[in-house]
Amino acid sequence: MTALGILTPATVREVAPQAVPRAVWRALLRRPAARIGLALALLLALVTLLGPLFTADPDLPDYADQLAPPGPVHWLGTDQAGRDLLARSIAAARTSVGAALLVMTLCAVVGVVVGTVSGAVGGRLDTVLTRFTDILLGLPTVVLTLAVIGVLGPGFWNLVLAMSATTWAPLARLARSVARGSAQRPDVIAARMAGVRPLRLALGHVLPATASQVLVAATLGLAEIVLLLGSLSFLGLGAQPPTAEWGNMLSTGRETFAYAPWQLVGPGLGLILSITAATLVSDALRDVTDPGRRT
Amino acid sequence: MRAVLRRFGQALVTLGGASVLIFGMLAVTPGDPARRVLEARGVREPTPPMVAAVRAELRLDDPLVERFARWAGGALTGDLGISWRTGRPVVEEFATRLPATLRLTAAALLIAVVLALLLGAAAAAAPGRWPDLTSRGVALGMLVVPGFVLGVLALDVLVVRAGLGRVIADGTWATVFLPAVTLALASAAYWSRVLRTSLLEAQSASHLRVSAARGSSRWRRLRVHELPNAVPPFLTVIGLGTAGLIGGAPVVESVFTWPGIGRHTVEAINARDMPVVVGFTLVAVLAYVVTSLLVDLVCATIDPRLRTR
Repeated sequence: MTALGILTPATVREVAPQAVPRAVWRALLRRPAARIGLALALLLALVTLLGPLFTADPDLPDYADQLAPPGPVHWLGTDQAGRDLLARSIAAARTSVGAALLVMTLCAVVGVVVGTVSGAVGGRLDTVLTRFTDILLGLPTVVLTLAVIGVLGPGFWNLVLAMSATTWAPLARLARSVARGSAQRPDVIAARMAGVRPLRLALGHVLPATASQVLVAATLGLAEIVLLLGSLSFLGLGAQPPTAEWGNMLSTGRETFAYAPWQLVGPGLGLILSITAATLVSDALRDVTDPGRRT
Repeated sequence: MRAVLRRFGQALVTLGGASVLIFGMLAVTPGDPARRVLEARGVREPTPPMVAAVRAELRLDDPLVERFARWAGGALTGDLGISWRTGRPVVEEFATRLPATLRLTAAALLIAVVLALLLGAAAAAAPGRWPDLTSRGVALGMLVVPGFVLGVLALDVLVVRAGLGRVIADGTWATVFLPAVTLALASAAYWSRVLRTSLLEAQSASHLRVSAARGSSRWRRLRVHELPNAVPPFLTVIGLGTAGLIGGAPVVESVFTWPGIGRHTVEAINARDMPVVVGFTLVAVLAYVVTSLLVDLVCATIDPRLRTR
């Protein structure tokens, strides 16, 4: 099918750019701030994944031991139902960080799909999608998220959906510009000359390049997503009790704060540490990948 | 002039698109608005004729396009519909609460700008040395501690325990300080980082060295070369940052029981009172679009390079 023998899919793949540039990792690891951030993220991931093996049942009430102060049995104390706060804080990390990663991934997927289709297909579809993206970009995200929750009603999944639905626009814009740029890339030109059909061209050649760039850009927003998810859950718009989540733990802990202030330690630290990790890594990542705009 | 007109057009398109989106949300919300309004008026078990009467009164059975036209027309003339919870006009409910929100955002904006200027200028004055490191550390701290966590701590430690200030914020200037600081910190941190970057960039320009070599004074260099280059990015993030303040208002107002439209909206979301939610969205979007339009125009006056875009 190819007139030129050299333009087989295998050669095309070889010319394609590396998905995760190793140079970025190396440059990232040279920065102390990034190292601290990555170590913190690793620590949080370990505690979140392995912690439940060593802690008590986070949902098991013990009405004989309500609002116990921190001690050898309950390291962070207990809440008003006598549940172990350390166990709950760790269980909450799964909900909170999991939700944030989910929102990030959903945004990246929507952004990549919309942007790639828009940039690779072009024409009227591109105009419509770009207009829509531009309108979303011109609106305040938090306010839109609140409105969408108003439609869907409060709840964990509704909050995840609402945030994803309102936050993907910048990523779509990035994906579109990468997709348009990659039309000029040697491997894409070669593939097109080899007779690869437009859809496969978009999915097999343009998409991988946009996806890796968009994923990097998406991680830059992770800190903000964790923060917003926590704030909205604190307002009772996200995961509902008894599900443990940092935001709703803070809001229930607040009721008894006056005589049991340790209620806030676990969820508060969890939020602060995870936001710190995400901020340190994303700042360094931004410096490394986009030297023109240092922060 | 042409660019200005185009920017106006862009803002109008955004507003138009936003209003379609927002009306769409109102239209797709599950539940019968007529029943909600009847409940709000104290009718426990409405009969079908009563529901039909309210549906006719609210003209809910008209085609969607007509309903949108009437809704948009109402919004333009200051009519945001009636609350499903209280049965009162949304505009009335907002009118009593808007001053408190404006007070809060204005105070937060002022605090944030002052803090950002101090931190950003201190950092840019001695890059890499202790003022810079301190300022960046402080900014990072302000960025990573969520406003509502800080608000809860401030309220409980400073107000409840130490007895400073009043527990119930009544929305007046006397009680604005704590909520405003809470609302301002994250924005201030972000803005100070942008200011530091743009000041450093402006300082490193080669025409500054030429100007210095020609014997220009430090003040002249700052006024003629550095500030005009550093201010537009700073102004832009402040403009966009008002969105952060508007978006943060519901959270901070809820923490401090501030009687503004943000807290009112959170209550409305929990009660699924869509006209109020939609009204807030519309007001916030309008504020945001107008602010970013103004900022862009101001920046274009300062920096001629932005005019041709």
